[in-house]
Amino acid sequence: MISLQNVRKIFGGRPAVENLDLEVKSGEIFGLLGHNGAGKSTAIGMMLGQVWPTSGEIRICGHDVTAQRQHALKKVGAIFESPVFYDYLSGWRNLEILSHYTAPTPAKRIREVIEWVGLTGREKSKVRTYSHGMRARLALAQALLPQPELLILDEPSDGLDPEGIHEMRLTILRLHKEFGLTILLSSHLLNEVEQLCTRIAVLNQGKKVFDGTVAEATRKQNWQRLRTGDFTAATNLLRSARLINEVRDGQFITLSDGVGSEQVVRLLVERGMPVYEIAPQEETLESFYLTLMKPRAN
Amino acid sequence: MFYYQLKGELWKLFGKKRTYIGFTMLLLAQMLIIGLLRYYPPAHRGLMRNIQESGFVGEQYVSMLTVASVMAFVLAYTLLPLYVALVGGDMVSKESEDGTLRMILSRPVSRVRLLLLKWIAGVIFSIVLVAALAAGGLLFSGLTFPVTGGLFTQLPDDQNIGTTNLSIFLFRDGLERFLLAHLMMVSKAVAIYSMAFMFSCFNMKPAAAAILALSAILIDRILMEIPYFHDLKEYFLGYHLNIWQTFFYENIWWWRVGESMSILIGLSLTFLIIGISVFQVRDIKS
Repeated sequence: MISLQNVRKIFGGRPAVENLDLEVKSGEIFGLLGHNGAGKSTAIGMMLGQVWPTSGEIRICGHDVTAQRQHALKKVGAIFESPVFYDYLSGWRNLEILSHYTAPTPAKRIREVIEWVGLTGREKSKVRTYSHGMRARLALAQALLPQPELLILDEPSDGLDPEGIHEMRLTILRLHKEFGLTILLSSHLLNEVEQLCTRIAVLNQGKKVFDGTVAEATRKQNWQRLRTGDFTAATNLLRSARLINEVRDGQFITLSDGVGSEQVVRLLVERGMPVYEIAPQEETLESFYLTLMKPRAN
Repeated sequence: MFYYQLKGELWKLFGKKRTYIGFTMLLLAQMLIIGLLRYYPPAHRGLMRNIQESGFVGEQYVSMLTVASVMAFVLAYTLLPLYVALVGGDMVSKESEDGTLRMILSRPVSRVRLLLLKWIAGVIFSIVLVAALAAGGLLFSGLTFPVTGGLFTQLPDDQNIGTTNLSIFLFRDGLERFLLAHLMMVSKAVAIYSMAFMFSCFNMKPAAAAILALSAILIDRILMEIPYFHDLKEYFLGYHLNIWQTFFYENIWWWRVGESMSILIGLSLTFLIIGISVFQVRDIKS
């Protein structure tokens, strides 16, 4: 559904996106992660033909966005962070105006979508009277009007309260389930991505540093929690015996390939070091993400 | 589909209050001018004296058409360029600044088509604004001055093309001239609007686009006013922008009308094409 091949974007000599390859398959909920300025919005801008790539190829629904933008975006809906509308017009009028850029939309379809997002009764009010949550629903309505097959959501929960974030999460799942939409979700909320997405890509300073399933990400590093009398002395010993690879936070270790936790316990006990606990530590997406960001931040 | 999209652009333009600032201020200015001309005796006497000193009967020519023309001359030089430039400067820059442009450009509409729609919407605004200037002028002056009196005009020197700069017309002929002049004034409004529109296609604030267009018009006017550049007057934009005044001369110089109209239409389209070209290669970011 989305295919980026070797895409680069340079702004004023500074690379914003570098050699990005990305594949989003039909029916997926794909998460795009990265810190502010990592290149997520630039990548989304290029997918929508708003930002021209310096090099590389971007295909949406099988069409080259640069050469055939109109065909590529025919079945695409998009929502951006902090949705903005023509505040001085009604919600209905906004939907009418925006949908006509795709194709003339009958009033029946607009009514259907308004009902689906739960704005019935407020559609004739001016958008300036809408709460942030209602604007988010209106944004969703405008994205759904052209009956899209692909939904691109750039920080859709931005500015929403916890209840709104929960509602948005349920809506995304509902969209996926009811309409079978392919969804690309860019978000800072790792918890949200973990709960929604089947696959993710992580961008750091314009480069893709991970691409895989959420399960792969959380299994990526097999951390073990080790509680012992002297953690530093114990890890020095384990390192010299080549039983561990990495150490963090004064309590976590990763075992070398083919090493079992019983070997670690045996060595430490043989050297007279008490072992109170050694247990696998389940990796969260957050800790995985932070690990990915660390080396570059340093 | 083009019709629906244009309707949307017109909703956006005419749905916001700031669009009406121009109309409101034009009508207010007209009321103020008429009020002073009618009820401030020295002003009324001055107008009467001006006509009489030219050898005509004051009572016959202090009329709806004469007063409406006085207002047209003043407002076409001042408020009209200001408001069309403000609207032109807003057309693309404001949407870019607000973020609504990103929302539009996530849809399968080409940038060329989008700008064409916006430009046409602004042209319609310019036409309506000039129509309001003419209608307001006739209405307000008609309420306070004799309706069927003749038209007396005293044209600025820079428009003098060899004939007298004083003209008089009977009511019917005068009304025709007045309406034709306003019809031609549309080309002035569209050219200034198009220039501001072009600037708004660049990555700049709406106010900057309007200020740039107005500055260009003012600089052109200043250069035109310098006597040493008089030989070059046909190369100044202002010379062609004020083509509408030709209709207040006794003899209409149609060749000049044709020439200036062609230049203004050509310039407006050039501004549009430059705007489209710049916008086409621009990255639209939040």
